[in-house]
Amino acid sequence: MKSRILRALLIGALVSGATAGAQTIGHAAPTVAAPGSGTTVISGRPSAASDSSHSYDAQALRFETHWGSGDIIRGAAGPVIGTVGWFRDFDVEKLVASSPQAVTEARAFKTNNFRGSLVGGIGALTLAAGTVITANSSNNAASPILIIAGAGAMVWGVQHLNAGYSRLSRAFWWYNRDLKR
Amino acid sequence: MSRLLLAFCTGTCILTATPTLMTAQERSYDENALRVDEHHGTIRIVRGVSETVVAKIGVFRAVDVAALVRPSPNAVAEATVFQRNYRPGTWIASLGIATLGAAIGASRISGLNQAVPTSLTIVSVSLITYGGFKLETAHRALSKAIWWYNRDLK
Repeated sequence: MKSRILRALLIGALVSGATAGAQTIGHAAPTVAAPGSGTTVISGRPSAASDSSHSYDAQALRFETHWGSGDIIRGAAGPVIGTVGWFRDFDVEKLVASSPQAVTEARAFKTNNFRGSLVGGIGALTLAAGTVITANSSNNAASPILIIAGAGAMVWGVQHLNAGYSRLSRAFWWYNRDLKR
Repeated sequence: MSRLLLAFCTGTCILTATPTLMTAQERSYDENALRVDEHHGTIRIVRGVSETVVAKIGVFRAVDVAALVRPSPNAVAEATVFQRNYRPGTWIASLGIATLGAAIGASRISGLNQAVPTSLTIVSVSLITYGGFKLETAHRALSKAIWWYNRDLK
């Protein structure tokens, strides 16, 4: 009788151990309750990322900022695959196309980057014009307005560029999440 | 029979309560993966889908990033590089900007030896460049640290 109890204990332990192992090794898709629906939906990662070429080590993206622009890099010390930033056009959407959430963020990045570049560029030109007029000692009432407006536009532009980088960071976060580990 | 069932359940409970599973769950990508978020000149490190702010790195305020990424040795190494460069970089660059201000001020003083504002300008440009390089190194290391930390999550 005792040996049967012992056997049952062992079987129980083995069954649960195997389940725990599977949960730890596998990339279990988190289940999320759909708001208001009362149902549970799977917010899983795309099953497309199944071969080793889509592994995190080989494919995970990150970016490093360099004096206002950002280099997109694959891996910890991988190659620079593109540069983004002030008036730089790189198709981030295409790069992260395998992850839907990442594509949404990449689109937002593109919008912010364009607006930031445009308004920041106009601001820089306006500020330069105001500074030149002031430096020439011409008694022009427009020069302080140009300097203030230019500086304001530059600040607005930089804020949009920074917001764009936040979106880019989020896009890579989602893209890397959907890679196989 | 009921005793057998009880024994089976006990065996199951013992193993499901082991810390191994809890650790794996606690370090999942969705809940723990970090990313950098810049907001009004402050670098914020946010965690997980919920984007909880776990650290704020201001202009002169450094954070123990190494402690934040501790479970990953590679991440800790990069975080150390970040910490070694970030604060000196901000101070040196700020000193350079202040020196540039002094150079502009000196250039407006009539009768002052022209060598003074020129020297101040050279010093300020050097300081700003050196500080900028240190900050670049710090940002690069932070990016790598977070990459490594996220890589080592389940």
